[in-house]
Amino acid sequence: MDANSIISSLTGKFPEDIFDANIESEIRIVAKVKPENVVEVCRYLKEDLSFGHLCCEFGVDYPDRNEIEVIYVIGSYEHPVVLTMKAILPRDNPEVESVVPVYWNANWYERETYELFGVKYLNHPDLKPLVLPKEMLGEWPLRKDYKGFPNKTARNLV
Amino acid sequence: MLTDSNAIADFIKKTKIQDVLNWGRKNSLWFMVNAMGCCGVELLATGMAHYDTDRFGIIPRNSPRHADVMIISGYVTKKYLPALKRIWDQMPAPKWVICFGDCAISGGPFYESYSTHQNVDDVFPVDVFVPGCPPRCEALIQGFVELQKKIEAKKDKGTDY
Ligand code: SF4
Repeated sequence: MDANSIISSLTGKFPEDIFDANIESEIRIVAKVKPENVVEVCRYLKEDLSFGHLCCEFGVDYPDRNEIEVIYVIGSYEHPVVLTMKAILPRDNPEVESVVPVYWNANWYERETYELFGVKYLNHPDLKPLVLPKEMLGEWPLRKDYKGFPNKTARNLV
Repeated sequence: MLTDSNAIADFIKKTKIQDVLNWGRKNSLWFMVNAMGCCGVELLATGMAHYDTDRFGIIPRNSPRHADVMIISGYVTKKYLPALKRIWDQMPAPKWVICFGDCAISGGPFYESYSTHQNVDDVFPVDVFVPGCPPRCEALIQGFVELQKKIEAKKDKGTDY
């Protein structure tokens, strides 16, 4: 399948949930997805369109728009296409359903997005910080308004 | 009994025996293999056959309980710092610290990072700083030589004189 037929298949199945679908280049599709139905869309992608490989999942902070985007990059071993799906969440209470039941490798991606952006994944099997210490939970260091950077001059060098 | 042995140690520190002890200590600086960052690769290479630090008595050890020198070889993240402190506590005195690489000295490329601890010399009594990103193995050997000189001159922080 090429990019066009993938888009029409997706929007045909989920006319409400997929919007702003675009072809960026021959091999890249960008689409926005409603956060409530991420899991169903992913299940359809995996089981019917053979997008079996979640390459990565991460967050982007947009303080001006008061939004956090959670981005799913999904690849396929059968189509020469990479799909980028964006779910837009409110910044004060970002919550989205976990896609671990569909793509098991999302587990650590979601834990990392949780510790860095504070995106709450509902029904995640084990939502706790991945690499940061527990005490830093709640600081969300990758949000743009994070202020906790150490600002000590290197005493040994000056 | 404890006070007695302390008294003996205090007495020894004032005599020539301490010089002999320090001569022995400086020539058997066993360091702990604790590769923490990319600098750790240089640390490992230093202990290998090419540089052959064994001839100076600088021998890599795998357990902190056998080691005299802890080399902080890379970035100290906030999560790792408690473990590093624990390793330090497990080492028997007299013990010394070498800060190896820019990360350990001041944060290096991870300066102003949310997850690293800058200025580890707040936490450990560091004797020698070896700058570089990463420093070469020769630099580490020179760091050891500086440490040996410090021990010989009784200026090191590992022993209280
Ligand atoms: S000083 Fe450079 S080489 Fe050493 S741990 Fe830091 S980044 Fe890596």
